[in-house]
Amino acid sequence: MSTADFLNQDFGDDSEEDFNPEPERNSDDEGDAKPDTNGDDEDDEPAQQSRGGRDNRDGNDDVKDEAEDNEGEDEEEGGDEEDEEDDEEDDEEEEDDDVEGQPSRKRRRKQRRNQFIDVEAEVDEEDEEEPEEDEDLPGEEMHPDDLQELPPGADRDDRKHRELDRQRDMQMHIDAEEEAARLKERYGRQGRAGGGGAAIIDQRLLMPTIDDPRIWRLKCRPGKEREIVVNITHRIFERATTRDPLRIISAFFREGAMSGNLYVEARRQEDIVPALENITHIFFGTKPMMLPLEEMPDLLRIKKTKQLEPGMYVRIKRGLYAGDLGQIDEVEANNVNMTVKLVPRLDYGLTEDANAAPGLDGNKRKRPVTTRPPPKLFSEAEARKRHSRYLSRVQGLSNNNFNYQGKEYINGFLVDTFKINNLQTEDVNPTLEEVTKFTASTEEGGEGLDLTALAATLKSNAGAIFQPGDNVELFRGEQKGVGGRAVKVYGDLVSIRVLEGPLRGQTIEAPVQDLRKKFQEGDHVKVIGGSKFQDEVGMVVRIRDDKVTILTDSNQQEVIVFSKDLREASDSGGTIGTTPYSLFDLVQIDASTVGCVVKVDRESVRVLDQNGAVRQMLPSNISTKIERRQNAIATDRDGNEIKHDDQIKEYGGEQKVGHVIHLHRNFAFARNRERQENAGIWVSRSSNIITVAAKGGRSNRPGADLSGMNPAMKKGGPAANAPAMPPPMQKGRDRLIGKTVRIKLGPQKGMIGLVKDTTDVIATVELHAKNKKALIPRDKLNIIDPNTGAVIGDGKASGGGSRPPGMPPGAMRSGGQTPGRGFGAAPAGSRTPSYAMGGGSRTPAWKADAGARTPAYGGGTSYGGGFGGATAYGGQTSYGGGTSYGGGTSYGGGSVWGGGGGGGQSAWNPSGGRTPAHQPSGGRTPAYGGGLDAPTPGFANSAPTPGAYGDQPTPGVYKGSGYPETPYTAETPGGDDGPRYD
Amino acid sequence: MFFVHEMEERIPLHPSYFSSEAPDSIRELLYKRKEGTNTGTMMIVRIIGILEISEPKVAPGTGMALYTISYRAVVWQPFRGEVVDGEVSQVVNNGFFVDVGALSVFVSKAMIPSQLKFSMEGATPSFADNEGQIVEAGSQVRLRIKGIRSELNQMYAIGSIREDYLGPLMQ
Repeated sequence: MSTADFLNQDFGDDSEEDFNPEPERNSDDEGDAKPDTNGDDEDDEPAQQSRGGRDNRDGNDDVKDEAEDNEGEDEEEGGDEEDEEDDEEDDEEEEDDDVEGQPSRKRRRKQRRNQFIDVEAEVDEEDEEEPEEDEDLPGEEMHPDDLQELPPGADRDDRKHRELDRQRDMQMHIDAEEEAARLKERYGRQGRAGGGGAAIIDQRLLMPTIDDPRIWRLKCRPGKEREIVVNITHRIFERATTRDPLRIISAFFREGAMSGNLYVEARRQEDIVPALENITHIFFGTKPMMLPLEEMPDLLRIKKTKQLEPGMYVRIKRGLYAGDLGQIDEVEANNVNMTVKLVPRLDYGLTEDANAAPGLDGNKRKRPVTTRPPPKLFSEAEARKRHSRYLSRVQGLSNNNFNYQGKEYINGFLVDTFKINNLQTEDVNPTLEEVTKFTASTEEGGEGLDLTALAATLKSNAGAIFQPGDNVELFRGEQKGVGGRAVKVYGDLVSIRVLEGPLRGQTIEAPVQDLRKKFQEGDHVKVIGGSKFQDEVGMVVRIRDDKVTILTDSNQQEVIVFSKDLREASDSGGTIGTTPYSLFDLVQIDASTVGCVVKVDRESVRVLDQNGAVRQMLPSNISTKIERRQNAIATDRDGNEIKHDDQIKEYGGEQKVGHVIHLHRNFAFARNRERQENAGIWVSRSSNIITVAAKGGRSNRPGADLSGMNPAMKKGGPAANAPAMPPPMQKGRDRLIGKTVRIKLGPQKGMIGLVKDTTDVIATVELHAKNKKALIPRDKLNIIDPNTGAVIGDGKASGGGSRPPGMPPGAMRSGGQTPGRGFGAAPAGSRTPSYAMGGGSRTPAWKADAGARTPAYGGGTSYGGGFGGATAYGGQTSYGGGTSYGGGTSYGGGSVWGGGGGGGQSAWNPSGGRTPAHQPSGGRTPAYGGGLDAPTPGFANSAPTPGAYGDQPTPGVYKGSGYPETPYTAETPGGDDGPRYD
Repeated sequence: MFFVHEMEERIPLHPSYFSSEAPDSIRELLYKRKEGTNTGTMMIVRIIGILEISEPKVAPGTGMALYTISYRAVVWQPFRGEVVDGEVSQVVNNGFFVDVGALSVFVSKAMIPSQLKFSMEGATPSFADNEGQIVEAGSQVRLRIKGIRSELNQMYAIGSIREDYLGPLMQ
């Protein structure tokens, strides 16, 4: 008994039990037996019933569920077929029921037990009992008698029940297709398993035997094989219905080395010649040669050719383009012709003999070309020069579609059809340059840089498509559908540990070409090669066959790539390529331009510069990355401060919105996720921005900032708007007094003297040469060794304070170079700070500063005075002797600016550091004023206001770390005079 | 899903807080630092108890005192396959973003039922069909998380509404 029978048998049993509870009192036979007596009309009934019964086996609820479920599957194809099958099955069931309806309950019980026992056992039993059944069969005729034995009405009862059931049944299966779908769902797998089993035949059994037709070889004209075979085919059809049909069974040929041979399959050699006579190109000179039996299969063995796909690179074997790289544009259905995209080699008639008759040059022109024109993209202008008659524009979607000399040129490429045997598909190994040519113009307006990556991988990526750990799936072959994780990859074989299904836990091996990578929606993947999206990381949003749509992490774009080019990404995402710059970094492009990275490719980055232009750059073209300064401040149009992460809106223009990611000078880079272009980054002058919402309402920042200094230690606190701590004043005697100095500048330059007295700005020097005391600004003095005359330290006498003892000048200089100050960024960064500043002297501001060496320069001293010669600023000299801070005038100026200074940068910013107004007063002054919030000398004592310092640590840190991110350069718009300062 | 999770954190304390109130300061610092933050895989909603504060150790070179604090916190961790409700924050042409608590979920066009079409009517981008279903900024949406990407202190996810009972919730 087959499996299906067995199942049916069950149904019979259970249906009776659940379905017709009442008649059960009576013999079970009744239900089934009776309809049979009623003739053919009722034949459907048991079928229905058994069907219903089958459902009821799972209970009524289940049935309803299924009905619902099946609604969704109504549309399934083949429903009708299924339906038919269904009917057939029903018939079978019916038969079974008929048969099984007969046995007594006793035997039925037995069977019921049997259902839990081995099927085979039952089969045996069945066999034994078959004669019995046969005996019982005639018993059908006895049914009417049995009926009479029933209590009156039981018959009708039963019928009503069944009617009701049937109605219910009908309701449940209004649509037969539903039923079909359900059956398909339930039994589909069984069927498949059975069918599969039958279809699998050992390959060895299919090998030809003596009894099979033999194959004969004939000679023919090489290259005409196809034509011959086509002719034979025609002849077979023509003569099929005539009196003498062709007695050959098949004819075929092999390409390549076997060309010139035709193979004919026939039972007898005598059949061949009559069949093939009068077909051209067949040489009957050589007799047909019968092939040995064992060679026949080899003849038909197909060598797997490389599957060519659009986008692959090939080389042309012959002709003008021999050796040239081409890209497959299209593979035609016959898999023989390929449309290939090439970089054309055209001379546009330059080497043409102008005197040749125009009519003759059709064929001859090509021959005389001795030198190949270099590959170059098609140029319409060039072609028009001499060959405008050969040129015509092809109407198409793109405007860049031409027909020139009978060939098609699309977007500058020659698009031509080649036979596959004219193409070299193996070991193509495209070089970087070649691929770049293809990629250059495909990328719109791009320089092809980002795609050079592709070329690199074409070489490297050829072998290892699969790597251990990949989630793979067999998509063809006997084990199709089996999925697992690759554990080993060697050559063309991949060991897979199967994770699901019946093979679960086993390790199977599969050839690479039968495998594809398997991903699930939501997987985080990385493009590892094969496309211009290489190294993009994203999440899978859709999978269709082996095409996977991913949503890139970097700019939320959807890209479609082949699953073979994907690999599961580590969760971190990681940096793309080796570029030191990452997305949204602020980078210094040149001295006056900064930009924000909006796209990172493998070898290039795309930068949105401060002017809103997007440039594609090599990382080496970027001078440096500008660290994001947490406490950078700018002012918006209304004078409100802008900080990082604030929501801002553009005033006027597109009214773009976004949150600030970088503030640089008076430019703000903001990001808006809704925008597609430039990864949502846009740039604007901060004076053209309105703050929409400050991050976290900073004015009433809750709680104390525990990471910084204890607020309790800051006397008065920021609320009092008083300085947290004045820079320590140097107590006692000015150390300059008594020192031997040399005058650096001015009419007395070079003179040596002793310092007798000092003020903040000026030192009274008793000159050695003349008995005279001169008042010299202290920053024009060099301290020298009285004995050797050598300048001590850096010799600066300004600032009142000297260097902190023990600190070598070099250290001070390097202090000036701390990255925080941004000097390191400048090309002159390796020099002393003052030089570094000099490096920026191209800006007008610096000219002003140079002027600071005039008496106005005294201001430098005033600076020192401002701090009372604080030891903390003892190294001020490293600021370039105050030069960087302009001069006393600057302070004077500062007081002028004082009004603004009170407002911090907000006042300064709009006016911009570079306005001429500032320059006379020393470029950096406003900076200083802004930064310190204390431009006037009077304020100078209270210079480092908390506002300016932000969360900067105590002055002690200034001493220790040698000018960390001082506000002097840091947040001031004065930094504008040279970009490198920020 | 919400969990109560035990975690440990090393927090430095500035020397100026070294006093008898140091434990309070460090507690406050912990709350300030950790509550509402994202560890990359989960979001700390609230710290519900501090289990232990270690003896502080002065970190060499900085003078900051390092405390190791173990604490219990209510955390929220999204899972792949989890069905969550959220509010649409942005609608763009290739999908929309949904804020599910602190997690921003992107629902790509590929994961939106095809009957919901993108439209730009009245400058409010939305996905809508003609039967009253509409997804625009501010709508409540039920979605299934399809994938989560964790980065340092950030989580991103993509979701799908291409299933029964998912999509905009009727208000």
